[in-house]
This record gives sequence, structure tokens and C-alpha cells, in this order.
Amino acid sequence: MRNAFVAATISVVLSASVAGGQGALSTQGLGYPSGGLSARAEGTGGALGDFDALSLTSPASLAAAGSAALYFQYSPEFRKVTAGSGNASTTTARFPVVVGILPMGSSWTAGLSAASFLDRSTETNLTRVQVVGAPTDTVTLTERNRVLGAINDIRLALAWSKSPVVRIGVGAHVFAGSNRITFSQLFPDSSRYISTSQAGRISYAGFAASVGLEVHPSRVIGFAVSGRKGGDLRAESGDTALGRAPLPDHYSASVTYEGIPGAAISARVAHDSWSSLSALSSSGIQAFDGWDAGVGVEAAGPRLLQRIVTVRVGGRSRTLPFGVNGEKVKENTLAAGFGLPLARDRSSFEFALQRASRTAGSDIKERGFILSFGLRVSP
Amino acid sequence: MLCPPIGGDVQTITLDAAVVLDTTVQALSGIGTEPGLLLASRGDTLDTRVIIRFDSLPQKFIPTGDTARPISSVDSAYIQLRVDTSSIKGADPVTIEAYDVDTTANDTSSAAVLALFRPDRFISAQTFTRAQLTDTLKYFISNAVVLDRVVNGTPLRIGLRATGPVSAQMRFISTESQAGPVLFFRATPDTTTKPLVVSPFSRTPADDRILRSVLVDYTVIANAPAPASPGTLVVGGLPARRVYFRFNIPSSIIDSSTVVRATLLLNQLSNQSLDPTDSVLVVPQVGLAGIAVTDPTKAAQIVTPVSADTVKFRPGNSGQMSVELARALALWHTTPADTLPRAIILRAVGEGISPLEIRFSSSEDAAALRPKLRISYTSRVPLGLP
Repeated sequence: MRNAFVAATISVVLSASVAGGQGALSTQGLGYPSGGLSARAEGTGGALGDFDALSLTSPASLAAAGSAALYFQYSPEFRKVTAGSGNASTTTARFPVVVGILPMGSSWTAGLSAASFLDRSTETNLTRVQVVGAPTDTVTLTERNRVLGAINDIRLALAWSKSPVVRIGVGAHVFAGSNRITFSQLFPDSSRYISTSQAGRISYAGFAASVGLEVHPSRVIGFAVSGRKGGDLRAESGDTALGRAPLPDHYSASVTYEGIPGAAISARVAHDSWSSLSALSSSGIQAFDGWDAGVGVEAAGPRLLQRIVTVRVGGRSRTLPFGVNGEKVKENTLAAGFGLPLARDRSSFEFALQRASRTAGSDIKERGFILSFGLRVSP
Repeated sequence: MLCPPIGGDVQTITLDAAVVLDTTVQALSGIGTEPGLLLASRGDTLDTRVIIRFDSLPQKFIPTGDTARPISSVDSAYIQLRVDTSSIKGADPVTIEAYDVDTTANDTSSAAVLALFRPDRFISAQTFTRAQLTDTLKYFISNAVVLDRVVNGTPLRIGLRATGPVSAQMRFISTESQAGPVLFFRATPDTTTKPLVVSPFSRTPADDRILRSVLVDYTVIANAPAPASPGTLVVGGLPARRVYFRFNIPSSIIDSSTVVRATLLLNQLSNQSLDPTDSVLVVPQVGLAGIAVTDPTKAAQIVTPVSADTVKFRPGNSGQMSVELARALALWHTTPADTLPRAIILRAVGEGISPLEIRFSSSEDAAALRPKLRISYTSRVPLGLP
């Protein structure tokens, strides 16, 4: 899954000799984990993820799809990073989820999907005063570090369900992608200075497998567990191996309660062993294992054009994989959304708005609004 | 820190021994190729003359409403001169004398031409006030002399000299600049007949077409400021000179690092001989001559500009001066030294038309005064995993 475009700029005027690269809490290290959640699941704070066929967290959920479907999602994020008295606004556009689902007979369902696993796309501009030439010759130097690309999770999954009570799924994952890195030093006077630019590209490849189980002992309650076990993730630049690290294991457990007519209350907790990726840092950026917990409600809402609009609300709290200055980055999210059936239920439009707040135990704070637009089409 | 360091500080080194060759060379553009004709009378300091050749004059004209007939009279003969008014020095009136400088001597012999500025070769004189020195000057010459050359079919070669009680200097646009001198005269008093217009033309040297074409008008130096001492690097002046530098730059700097700035440090020597406070624009150029061209004079003619920017010098100044060469190093980064010598040529923008010259210490001077190359660079940073 590629990120179509990223235009993120952080302009920070720093004192001389301070230089830097990644300028957001969420894009540290190998990048931001978008989570593989559909707009529907995002609207409930991720709580519905393990039960949602369009999310990639549990292969068992595919069995609930019911019909063949194609799903695309676009999720721009508008961030504001505050560091002391300075702040910067950035925008990142992502296409985090693409899903194709194909029922095979009455019991089996196959799915091919792709999601952003770690999105490293960012651009940082740092301006500093630099001595170039004589000791008294100073010039304002702008260092631009642009990284485009992501590690993507491509999953081929198969789910089985003989009845609505039990759903089982397995998935094979290929983690692939690249980061294109461009580092430029820009000087203002081209007759006196030469602006420089370096480019590099890192490719990633790895494999993992996942399983999922969904049990609905009654009509009002359901449980789901899932897990993903990773092999090694290799990083290469051209013919040079840069390193390898185990893909983080992922486990999650969810519960949903549908005892209230027209509503489903869900909760989910997941754990990711992100620390395994610390080995893929050349500068010692620390990765932390983290919990991801969410709770949310999905309920039948008002009628619009004779169709019932589904509304959702939720909250989520999780630890992002990569820390800042040895501190974990915490992300708390409030979410809301809706789903609108279209074309006689042969398609639907899903929307979620998330307000994310990220901190890392310092005066650096990050606020982001993530808008997710999803379109599901059943051929 | 939210942003871990990526780019390091810029390192700067000054290479004292980077200049392996520095020398003053002639600008091979040569006599007659100058875009301006310098007429100067600066006392004992500078004396330059202007030569204009009209080797081909019409012998017939066509009166209005009539047929062609031989020219038997000349009226209102004058040479139209385009003046670069910014070059005029002196507020007092200046007298411009014209001499017949036709000779069979060697065409490029300045001495032979200068010897003809004598009373028996005198043609005419005209005095101009400063207000009369506008961008277009009508210099009237003897009708009789023009008629004599027309009737006899001999060349009309005019030598102009400025005289006067005080210094004077001006520059005429030359034929090389497409607005050179033009001779006008009437072959009949009847003003309804258009005057004849004659452009400069030279019939000699017969065996050198290129030289013949540039000698239609040129500047002759009768007296120039005292030359710089041997071993001094000189840019500009008359005849025009350039400075040729060849460097030996460690390949570790050019190939393995990223140069962000390169500066040639020169020690300027004060030259008070002529207009010490005037500005001289100097442009650094990269030598493109390959290693097969071993003569610096020839190598200094095969150049391309480093950048569009020029460096302003004043002849009377002294001390360390800087010439930026960053673009040259960018070019050298792409071309190996055994293919393209690391050569820089300094030349004056007004090469050949300005007598002002800028002087620098050379590598023969004391170590502290020698040319040096200062290079600022950054090391390539690893672009990989975060």
C-alpha cells in the first residue's frame, strides 16, 4: 500500500548547530502505524476491528462479509505539532486500506487486502545559521529531509464459518514497501553556495502469519481473539543489507455486546511487540511494546433517503511504536463516524473523524485530525 | 529532541598549496577585436589613439532624378562616432585631431602607425565641450582630403588623437559592437540628394581575412601605465591580460564530500597608476582546455563562466579579496582531473576597452600573500534506517 502523496512541512527555527530530521511524534522511527482498520472500525475507536470484515486485524472476521466486496479508504491527517512556543502544521494523505473479499461457497471466504503497516512519509525543514567559509561568514541553511513511503501489510486470508456462532480465519502476510529518502541542504545565494541533495531508498520485506477466532455464544454477545506471528523483516538498500529484525507479534481480544436493540457496544485490547523493531534503527531510536485499547458504540441512527444511517462513537488509547528521547509516545483518540448504505445496500459509504492527541512526556505535543473516507462496493 | 541530527556542520579548510600554477597571460582577442575604441589623453599615464580605415570609397553617386556620375566634389564630410558616455573622463573641452595614417607598413605595427601622428599628416581638428559629447558625435573632417582619396582611389585611414590642456578619455563603440564609426559626405551641394554613407573597410593584410575584418577600426596604445612588477598577477589593462590558475585539489574533497562553497583568496596589490577608485568587474571562468593544451595562454582562452555574477574590484584597493568558485567545483566533481585540469581564469568584463588593471600577489610572493583556495564541505550523510 503506497502513500499517494505526503506534504508535511515543519519549519523550526533553531539555534545554531541544532539539526534534525523527523519532526512529528507520530512519525518517529520507521513510521506511524495506521492500524489496518476500516473507517467503520475507526469510528468506534478500533473496538469493532476484530469483528469487521474490512479491517485487517483478524482473518476470522472475513466470514462475516456475506458477499463479495471491494473496499477503498482514503485517510488524510491534519497535524499540529507544538514544541515550546513554536508550532507547525502538517498534512499527510494516506490510502491505508484496500480490501477485496470473495465468498467461496457457503462456508468459506477469501480476502486479499493491503494496509499501511508503518507509514514513514514525512518532510521536515530545519533552518539554522551556519558558518560557511570565514569564521564571520554566516548563512541561513535550510535542511530538508523528505521521506516518502511505507511498509505495507499485504494479507491473503481465508475464513471459515458454518454458522454465525463460530468463525475461524487464517492469514498469510507479506510485508513489503520502501522508503525514498531525500536529504537536501539549501543555501539562499546560489552564486556563492551550492545547495546539495542526497537520495536513498530502503526496501523492506518480511513474512508473517495470522489466525483469528470469533465466537458468538448468543445473539447478544460475541468474543474474538486474533494473533499474528512475524518472521524477520529485512531492510536493504540496493544490494546492501541494512539489517533485519523480527516483525512484531500482535495479539488482540475483543468483545461485543448487542443486548441493546439497534446498538452494539464493543471493546478491544491488543498488544504489539514493537520493541522487536529496535534492531532496525541506525541511530538508536527505541521502540516500545505497546497496548492498544478501544471502546465504542455502533448504533442505528436516523433515516436518510429512506436508509438507516449507522452512527458510531468511540475512544482509543495506545502506545505508538517509536519513542522520543527514550520516552514512549502515547496516543489518545476520540472518534465518531457514520455509515450510509447506497445503491440498495450494494455499496456503502463509511466516514470516521478521529481527533488524536499524542504526547511523549515532554513539552512536545501533537494534535491530529484524521478523516477517513471509505467506499465499499459489492459487485 | 524531536529531530535527531542528520546533516553535520559544514567543514572549512584552506588549501595553501592548492595553486600549482598562477600566471598572467595575454587575452588573445588581439588588436582590433575590442568592442570599444579607447581615445585617451591622460598626460604621461595613458595615451591611446583610434584608427579607422575607409579603404574603399565610392567614386560615383546618383543625383536625385539623374543617372550615376563621378564624384567631383565633397561637402559636409564627417565621421559619425557612437560614444559610450559613461566612459567619458574630464569635464573640460577636448580637441580631437585627425591624421592621415595610411601606410604600407605592417598592419599590426603600432609603432608605424603612431609615427604618422605628425604635422605633415594632420588633417583636421575639432574641439568638443563636455556638453557636446553626447552619445552620437559628428566629427567633421576635411572635405578636400576625402575628395582626394575618392578621386585617386586611395585609402582614407584616419587616426584620431585627443589633445588638450587637461586629461580626457572616452570610448567609441567599435564595428565589433555593430555600431561602429560611419563616414558621411555629400557629393553635391544639392540637399535633395542623400549623403553617401561609407562603412569602415580594410583591404590589408591581403592574406589574412579575419585580421583584415577586425582592423577596420582599432585602438593603438601610445603610452600606457608602467607595467606591474614581474611575478605580479594582472587582470585587465591594455593590452588586456588574464590570470590563469591551476589547482591541485585533493580528490577526497571533490569526490568524497559535498562542496558547498569554494573561495579563491587573493591578496590584491594597490595600483594607483590610473583611476584607483574606479570599479573593475572581474568574472571568474572555468578553463575547459583539456590536458593536451599545455600553454596557459591558449588554455586561458577556452573558458566558460563560473556564474553570472561578477566581482567588483577597485585598482587602488589592497588586501585580501575573495572570488567565489563553488560552481567550478561542482563541474569538477563530474569530470576527472586527468581529463579536465582544475583551471580558473580571471578576466575583466571590460577586457580590451578599459585601461584599468587589477593586480594580485602570486605564488612567488610571501606565503601569507599567495593565492589560496578555501573550501567548505559537508560529508555525505548515511540515508537509511532512522
